[in-house]
Amino acid sequence: MTETTDYKDAIPTLKDEIERETVEQVLALDVDNYKYGFTTEIESERAPKGLNEDTIRFISAKKGEPEWMLQWRLDAFRRWLTMEEPRWARVSYPEIDFQDMYYYAAPKTVQAPKSLDEVDPALLEMYEKLGVPLREREILAGVEKPRVAVDAVMDSVSVVTTFREELARVGVIFCSIGEAIREYPDLVKKYIGSVVPVSDNFFATLNSAVFTDGTFCYVPKGVRCPMELSTYFRINEKKTGQFERTLIIAEEGAYVSYLEGCTAPKRDENQLHAAVVELIALDDAEIKYSTVQNWFPGDAEGKGGVYNFVTKRGDCRGARSKISWTQVETGSAITWKYPSCILRGDESRGEFYSIAISNGYQQIDSGTKMLHLGRNTTSRIISKGIAAGFSDNTYRGQVSAHAKAKGARNFTQCDSLLIGDKCGAHTVPYIESRNSSAVFEHEATTSKISDDQMFYCQQRGIGEEEAVALIVNGFVRDVLQHLPMEFAVEAQKLISVSLEGSVG
Amino acid sequence: MSVPQAVRIGPAEATLIEQLTGRGATAAAERFALSGLPTRKVETYHYTDLKMLLRAVPGLAGTEKATSEPALRIPGAHRIPMTNGVADLDGSEPAGVRAAIVKGSALSERDDVLVRLNMALAAETLKLDLEGAVDTVLHVDRRTEGDAAHMNDSVHLFLADHGKATVIETFSGTDEVHLSNHASYVAVGRNAELTHILLDLSPARATNFAVAEYHVAEGARLRTVTIHVGAALSRFNLFARFEGETAFGDFTGLNLVSDGQHSDITLELRHAVPRCGSQPLYKQVARGRATAAFQGKIVVDRDAQKTDAKLMMQGLMLSDEAQILSKPELEIFADDVVCGHGSTAGALDEDSLFYLMSRGVPRAEAESMLVRGFIEEILDPIAEENLHEALEGVVEAWLTAVK
Amino acid sequence: MTTPMLEIRNLHARIADREILKGVNLVVPAGEVHAVMGRNGSGKSTLSYVLAGKEDYEVTEGEVLLDGEDILALDPSERAARGLFLAFQYPIEIPGVATMTFLRAAMNAQRKARGEPELSTPDFMREVKEAGRNLRIDSDMLKRALNVGFSGGEKKRAEILQMALLKPKMCVLDETDSGLDIDALKIVSDGVNALRDAGRAMLVITHYQRLLNHIVPDVVHVFSDGRVAESGPKELALELESKGYADFDEAAA
Repeated sequence: MTETTDYKDAIPTLKDEIERETVEQVLALDVDNYKYGFTTEIESERAPKGLNEDTIRFISAKKGEPEWMLQWRLDAFRRWLTMEEPRWARVSYPEIDFQDMYYYAAPKTVQAPKSLDEVDPALLEMYEKLGVPLREREILAGVEKPRVAVDAVMDSVSVVTTFREELARVGVIFCSIGEAIREYPDLVKKYIGSVVPVSDNFFATLNSAVFTDGTFCYVPKGVRCPMELSTYFRINEKKTGQFERTLIIAEEGAYVSYLEGCTAPKRDENQLHAAVVELIALDDAEIKYSTVQNWFPGDAEGKGGVYNFVTKRGDCRGARSKISWTQVETGSAITWKYPSCILRGDESRGEFYSIAISNGYQQIDSGTKMLHLGRNTTSRIISKGIAAGFSDNTYRGQVSAHAKAKGARNFTQCDSLLIGDKCGAHTVPYIESRNSSAVFEHEATTSKISDDQMFYCQQRGIGEEEAVALIVNGFVRDVLQHLPMEFAVEAQKLISVSLEGSVG
Repeated sequence: MSVPQAVRIGPAEATLIEQLTGRGATAAAERFALSGLPTRKVETYHYTDLKMLLRAVPGLAGTEKATSEPALRIPGAHRIPMTNGVADLDGSEPAGVRAAIVKGSALSERDDVLVRLNMALAAETLKLDLEGAVDTVLHVDRRTEGDAAHMNDSVHLFLADHGKATVIETFSGTDEVHLSNHASYVAVGRNAELTHILLDLSPARATNFAVAEYHVAEGARLRTVTIHVGAALSRFNLFARFEGETAFGDFTGLNLVSDGQHSDITLELRHAVPRCGSQPLYKQVARGRATAAFQGKIVVDRDAQKTDAKLMMQGLMLSDEAQILSKPELEIFADDVVCGHGSTAGALDEDSLFYLMSRGVPRAEAESMLVRGFIEEILDPIAEENLHEALEGVVEAWLTAVK
Repeated sequence: MTTPMLEIRNLHARIADREILKGVNLVVPAGEVHAVMGRNGSGKSTLSYVLAGKEDYEVTEGEVLLDGEDILALDPSERAARGLFLAFQYPIEIPGVATMTFLRAAMNAQRKARGEPELSTPDFMREVKEAGRNLRIDSDMLKRALNVGFSGGEKKRAEILQMALLKPKMCVLDETDSGLDIDALKIVSDGVNALRDAGRAMLVITHYQRLLNHIVPDVVHVFSDGRVAESGPKELALELESKGYADFDEAAA
């Protein structure tokens, strides 16, 4: 025991952070670099390659959508044609040929399965391999494990959504967005595009035109959602863009915690993922949104990988509402993503906790926006960026207080860690105060893992890579603790895996 | 998706193109016609959209006599008047100072509109070569005189190895709607020690632009102090580069912004070599309907290992109509570095006010005392007593000016 | 009957929605030192802030008379000019403002408010030096920014130095002993005792009896749940020390 104490004291920056458990976990790591890189042979149906109004009509018809939805999509498409691809982010990639990809791909066997029994066993097996629990019975059997309801989305369609009945009993609607458009058109109509307008940005507009599936969640007034909700996204098909759309609404006093996981097979071409997520929290409501993004990052030479261009935004529309984003970004060749909060309601609160790890030739430009509009609104940003290999890792964030946002408060802590001298870590915050009673505090640091820390770990018999993983886990601890338990453990493993090959 | 097209040209831009063409700077004119003045989409002008803010450009400045009073008098300093770009050298320069006039602008080429304008339009440069310990404070009194004019001037300052000097450049002029675009090229030799101050005391309606580039050699110590007080529209473009190891730079500034003003200080600091340190510290105080903007970017090149750089921006809001904008950036390519930045904004601290008032200091006085305390950190390191006092006077005048 | 230096009548005050002072009655005649003792959270520090006029607190009822004059409508600087001094439990650090500059501003502001001429530089320097000597405050400390980087002991000595220079009629000392070792405590209490005077009253707020061994009070008030639960001679402090505060809670309730 004394040894453990010494251990802690000797590395002050790791104090309280190194636990034996972590060490063991790290030591037991699987050394397969991207373990979700397999492909699954599932017959699928696709729309013809390319993008035009017919593609959109095809998607809308496939989904059995009402006319207003089709018009909404077409309107978005026409606007998109007039827009330019944004170039301000610190990422570079060859021009995307939007005509050289498929916008709709659906496993043939999952035309709206009614229950798990109808789901293709090959699909279930795939999700099992990904570690996503879909069989309710089995989940229920694991007594001590918390239950999670899952909406599994593969390519363009939702495969299955679990625990729906149990959720329905308390009034929570949890289904695919396609189903919501058909079954709850009034709710969808009222909220879709109300946080991320149709023409918000190039990729969001594209998504509005061609989105294929995604998750819809509605938590009625005063209901605390009895379990974690989650969506698991998987790109399987070749040359297929994934454009999912998620809409979560928490009515007055409601609470929901939602998790999102993503993977894709190893392919040597680039796959486009352009999602839109909209969150709406009314008076006293709280939404907690966690993401573990592990799209295929490309191979060691930087070939292939997912282009992840995502618009995520939460609207704290009601007084005292709260939206919290937690993200662990380890995948994708390119990440362009800024989960944001519009703090409209008085005393509303926005939070952003992020871990972004780039290795190989990955490029990440990610961060958040906290827009303070209401009185006494507060926000907190903790961002941890880790760059290794030949990667570039940028934090880009905006904090602004409107002239009417009396008493707005923000605290931002933004730390970067560089591993190796071929990568780059960048910080670009925009801090805009238009109110004298607003108090903003921003801090950023960039450092490396100190030789002393490495030496100490190695002297205790921990190998170089494990030592890095250990120290990095300490570095990101502030963020990890905001993830739901079971996700945190996953994330911790993922971090170690992502950093493999980063030293030596 | 679409091919970039030439921008729409407004009246200010049209005048600038005319002026460039008139001076024979055809290439610059053509280039400018393509880009126009920068909008907020140009990252380095994110908070100062010149296309929107600069509505008109007066005619190019001609030769004028200095008629206005020096905006700042520093007892014991050697003052070199420079009127509409022409330095008045009388051969009385103190020991260790050599002054000369050379053709053209002192600036290095750079993708920046103000740099290009100055390079095309500044006819000559006042070249100051400093050697050894120069005990006298040098004051370059740069003025835009006469009727409203578009004036470009240039100063080249070189402090030789092991030298030591303090130089202040002030910007002022007649009370007209001038557009002044000043250039300063500052090179600090090995192990030399330089304090360089830029002080904008332009008249209220003027637009004042100043570009300064700093080249810092091995072992040198540089302190820069950039102060904005005057000019309705002001932009300081500071480019600094560490070119020799173990040099250290304190880049500091005060952006004092009053009702109706828009003032922007933008610093790009590049660590190109290992083992240098820098500590940028900028303070912004805004009152009335005013905009104070600061952008500070520290770039650490791949080779610049062991860099120690910490940037801080502190903003103080004295009114509800004011805005304080800040964009501190880090761009880091070397792994063995300690870099960081901080940014704060807020009003005066209520607990501090209460403490002062509980000792009998009335509110208004307590407030200005706290503002003075806030600012003092920037002026405090300026050792030359007369200069320090003169600058405190400038701050004092700003504090007591009608709000 | 002479006017007491400080008279608090049925004082109620709250911060946000929480009522903290619930009817305080207290009289301190000139020339006397009164102690206010109470456990943490009983409202002692709130009382000191309310007396000095901190904005965060709202007085909902009652009066505070300083030398017969109601001061509740006055701002903190006006109260100070009328002779009220609060020695802070946690003196505020003010970067950039030299201690000397601050002392001079405070002394002159009060003189000005009372219609007296400003101090000349030599007079000011002499006064500060003399007062500083007794409190072992050297000129080096005076050149530093106010309270910035001061140790706990230095901060408390600086508070007493200000008290000596401003010559208030009514001194309120909030937990002046907190964070002091025995030597520092002695210096500070000697400083306070030197200022005891027939024309001056003091209210010493403390959690522990220890301070009262050094600054011996004329009267002890026990504070509980936002009001004075009991008052008595100095021996009351010793009784409190041995019995604890529990017995007095009932008296307050």
